[in-house]
Amino acid sequence: MPKYGIPNGLVNPPRHSPDVDERNAALHGPERGYLGVTPGTVVLVFVFLAAFMLYFFTNWKLLSFVWKIG
Amino acid sequence: MTTATIPAAPRAAAVPRSDFRVCGTTGRRIFHDAEWLIRVNAVASIVALLIGVIAAVGLVLTRWPAVHLLPAQWFYRVLTVHGVSMLIFFIIFFEMAVLHFAGAVLLSSRIAAPKVAWAGTWTMVVGAVLTEIMMWSGKADVLMTSYVPLKAHPLYYLGIILFAVGALVQTIIFFATLVVAKREKTYQGSVPLVTYGAITAAIIAVITLLHGAAIYVPTFLWSLGLIPAIDPQLYRMIWWALGHSSQQINVAAMVSIWYLLGALTVGSVVLNEKISRTAFVLYVLFISMASAHHLLVDPGFSPAWKVVNTSYFMYMAVLASMLHGFTVPASIELGQRLRGFNQGMFGWLKRAPWGDPGFSALIFSIVVFGFVGGITGVTFGTEQINIIAHNTLRVPGHFHATVVAGTAMAFMGVTYYLIPLIFRKQIAFFRLAQWQPYLFAGGMLVFTMSMTFAGTFGAPRRHWDIGFANAPFDVPYHPVVNVMLGFVALGGLTAAFSVFSYILIAVWSVFLGKPYAPGALEHAEVRNPERPRQPTPALAGR
Repeated sequence: MPKYGIPNGLVNPPRHSPDVDERNAALHGPERGYLGVTPGTVVLVFVFLAAFMLYFFTNWKLLSFVWKIG
Repeated sequence: MTTATIPAAPRAAAVPRSDFRVCGTTGRRIFHDAEWLIRVNAVASIVALLIGVIAAVGLVLTRWPAVHLLPAQWFYRVLTVHGVSMLIFFIIFFEMAVLHFAGAVLLSSRIAAPKVAWAGTWTMVVGAVLTEIMMWSGKADVLMTSYVPLKAHPLYYLGIILFAVGALVQTIIFFATLVVAKREKTYQGSVPLVTYGAITAAIIAVITLLHGAAIYVPTFLWSLGLIPAIDPQLYRMIWWALGHSSQQINVAAMVSIWYLLGALTVGSVVLNEKISRTAFVLYVLFISMASAHHLLVDPGFSPAWKVVNTSYFMYMAVLASMLHGFTVPASIELGQRLRGFNQGMFGWLKRAPWGDPGFSALIFSIVVFGFVGGITGVTFGTEQINIIAHNTLRVPGHFHATVVAGTAMAFMGVTYYLIPLIFRKQIAFFRLAQWQPYLFAGGMLVFTMSMTFAGTFGAPRRHWDIGFANAPFDVPYHPVVNVMLGFVALGGLTAAFSVFSYILIAVWSVFLGKPYAPGALEHAEVRNPERPRQPTPALAGR
């Protein structure tokens, strides 16, 4: 017989602690720097942009091989 | 302060109390017909998925030169079945379930005109069955695009038309349900972001289905001999307003599910709701013009028309995806940090519930959709680059990353929540369910990347034999193409195994599984913090 389960989000619903407003204010403080309140996501965005640029310019290079001039 | 759940509101006096139940987990009132409409549409989508994935196994084992399983005629037949069953039936049935969930369930409302909604659902079922019969019996070997002058049996077109009419009816019922909910005050303020995203999906669906009618009705009449001919260029232009726009229904529905899963799994807090809503509006305004990128090498359109549609309008839709690609992970990060997972740059990600199939499916859906599907898609939208990619395996490499690894993955993830919440059953084979998103993401990553690279070396799409055996000309390929096609099979079979696992889990849970009856009325209380920025949970109305 199969083993049953329920996803974590239902058996252990995500809750904010009572001091959520203080946490939020701290996250938005000026000392957080230019990466802001979500620094991890900002870094991931730059990883994405790097991958985008690499793939985009590889395509133009490939195009130059396929359609040679002269 | 608001909470992630919407407070129960006074019911309409005309609706008997027994027509609603209160969800023991979320506290929402769920209308009886809404629940059953979600169930039937979801089950129909799983049946379509099963047919589609069986066809997929036949396809990957044929595209793998070392096996080359199917004869040519069956390859094209199965390719037609795969495309129609997956891209149309599986996806749109599931989207109908999403619309009823985002409308009636999230707004705690009754369904407007439930009998009409049921008529729409059964019309879709009849249309899907009719189309499947025509395809499997070899009377519609025209591939999903059914480009004229390829002609299928009239009942094939009739089946598609019936399916589209049924979907349109259900979409209109969704809009009517929004009016009912607003009039009966079942929610306060604006609709939740998830519902807002579903509304954009529904608007795009109406645009899409009207284009579908505009092209399939004349084609149906042509197949009956009542119209002498259909112009192929005109067909392609209008058909892609259906074919590509329908994928944008997927994108809007998928992004809505991203916000939903973020809220359910980690209590994500939307960074800036105006930005997210604006991004959804960009989809509505610009995504239909993006269909023009399918016509970039067609001779009948001017370069100016192509450039305006694909290099300006399309980028506005791409901008919308990039905005969501930032705001969804950012809302997850903010939610996690507010819950105390605030260590370092990526502590929030490390401490995330990776064993929750809803969460892992959410993350993999975002990553593969964005990194593989998004980047490849934008490059194809450039006219010059499209010349080297057109009709090669790079194209299916791209759209399998978006529709399969993105949309289907998100649908799978939310299924693990819909089964307890809507079917009121526990998840069977839960350990397998926890692994399923990993297997699917891994398989699809190998599959899409290998397909893309094989296409880069010139391997054609939609072709039974890339070696062109017995042809009067020689078509040399780099030897790496064979290796890549082997990886396509490996990744495809891994993903197919994962899909079979998903179907087993879903079917066993729904029809043979243990009931799920939470004792206490628990709310996933994710509060909306006060100043300074007032971010809001994705499920809360503003």
